Amino acid sequence: MIEAITDSGERREMTINMGPQHPSTHGVLRLELVLDGEVVKHVKPHIGYLHRCFEKYAEQMDDYAKVIPYTDRMDYVSAMNQEHGYVLAVERMLELEVPERVEYIRVIMAELQRIASHLLGIGAFGLDLGAFTPFLYLFIEREKILDIFEKASGARLLYNYMAVAGLMRDVHPEFKDEVADFVKTFRPKIKELDDLLSYNKIFVRRTANIGVLPVKVALNYAASGPVLRGSGFKWDLRKNDPYSIYDRFDFDIPVGSGEMGSLGDCWDRYIVRVKEMEQSLRIIEQALDGMPDEGDVMAAIPKRIRPKEGELYVRTESPRGELGYYIVSDKSASPFRVKARAPSFVHLSMLPAISKGALIADIVAIVGSIDIVLGEVDR
Amino acid sequence: MVEAFKNSWITFKSIFIGMGITIRHFFGKSVTLQYPDERPVLPNNARAKLYVNIDDCIGCNLCARACPVNCIYIDTVPSTSDVDLGKTSTGNPKRFWLTRFDIDMAKCMYCDLCVHPCPTNCIYMVSEYEYSEFNRTNLIYHFSNLEPAMVAEVKEKAANEAAEKQRQREEMMRKKAEEAKMKQIEAKKQAEEKNDGEKGSEPSKKENGDS
Repeated sequence: MIEAITDSGERREMTINMGPQHPSTHGVLRLELVLDGEVVKHVKPHIGYLHRCFEKYAEQMDDYAKVIPYTDRMDYVSAMNQEHGYVLAVERMLELEVPERVEYIRVIMAELQRIASHLLGIGAFGLDLGAFTPFLYLFIEREKILDIFEKASGARLLYNYMAVAGLMRDVHPEFKDEVADFVKTFRPKIKELDDLLSYNKIFVRRTANIGVLPVKVALNYAASGPVLRGSGFKWDLRKNDPYSIYDRFDFDIPVGSGEMGSLGDCWDRYIVRVKEMEQSLRIIEQALDGMPDEGDVMAAIPKRIRPKEGELYVRTESPRGELGYYIVSDKSASPFRVKARAPSFVHLSMLPAISKGALIADIVAIVGSIDIVLGEVDR
Repeated sequence: MVEAFKNSWITFKSIFIGMGITIRHFFGKSVTLQYPDERPVLPNNARAKLYVNIDDCIGCNLCARACPVNCIYIDTVPSTSDVDLGKTSTGNPKRFWLTRFDIDMAKCMYCDLCVHPCPTNCIYMVSEYEYSEFNRTNLIYHFSNLEPAMVAEVKEKAANEAAEKQRQREEMMRKKAEEAKMKQIEAKKQAEEKNDGEKGSEPSKKENGDS
């Protein structure tokens, strides 16, 4: 280990800022690095640059439906999943049954969004490590998903598509064909991604054995999603605590195995996402088969929703991990309190624990591998 | 040594595999749109800009209330009895002059929540997306088609009619109050007479009072 030594022979530490305007911090994240030469002694993430008072806004809204566009803006990369969690929470509060068709469309949308989100996560991860090409190729595929979403909902990024008790509008008539088409064309692309990036020697050298997260530490920090699964722990809320209609589908939970280095390193977290996309394709195929062609996309509900007094916590599996909504109702038309448990926030808090002793260049890899979205961290 | 050679061979191989994919893409079809020359075709239901068909608006204010960011401003003046504003294309009678229907597109977050409550489907999203401005105030769209003079006239008329109505109401109230008073007095009188009748057994007092 090289140590910076001053004239007087004392070891010198240097504190530098990484971000908030750094290209590889995935938004506006400021990392305070205490360095000894190039070795990172300590990392302190500073957040709050993108704080938009989501929770306070939710209390100010005079309707439960008005919160949905704000949930979109929390994690803008996986807006469908954010909406899904929120509407499920409100529906459970109202003890509402939604039509079968709605459930299927929601699942298809959520899984497509999961693929889109992982594509961006993987692509940006590669980009951080200097692999520019996969990023662009993956965006071609992501664009196809966004086109499907645009046709269905009218928007490309912030959909506001799921409504309490249903969907804002019905899907377009060609929806099924388009999704089936996408599934067919996307499968070979995963193979291409593996060739281009996953097993690329340079990429493996940059990610294997870097930022190792032991499963115990992951559990202590309440990690979830691909980060926890990358450490080899089989935990997926779609299987372990099924919501919506996920119990009807047959899919596997990919976990990290330490194939390239040690268990729970950056590469494991990365490959879990790649494998998860394949599982999402499987779910989409099954959902397409089961989806009824005709039917309402909205259950009958009163114009003003007033859930009865009480509180509840609903958790769903977003592409980044366990996304929970804790809602308190005081029987009025506006929520008394909405608290979002954001996986990115939890995962960012782990950063100091797993990046001790890493090099500066590895910090970039670690931040990329936990795939945070700062909109969700700060809310 | 062997390990080093093996590593270099694998690196070499993975570079070649990557290059092969890149070359395949290079000769494949391009997906990039050269934007100002080619424009993407948005689907019909794309949410890019709000539009209001003001002829169909009945001034019910439902869209403004549904808006989470309060970017719709509506002022209405009730129409006077001498004008008939007609009906919308959906058959709803119009009862208000829309003196102001402004949408601040700089504030709008394109959430589509205002579109659904509209009873006449007169507010909707259109797929026009090239409307950037140098000045933010230019993004406030005025949909009301009333001239300022017309607005003043309508307001005055409405105010006059409201005043007239108020006057009538006051008149009526006064009349009612008077009637009530009269009734009260009458009732009092009657009661007194009745009392008198009952008190007839005590003539001395009454006579005293009369004298």
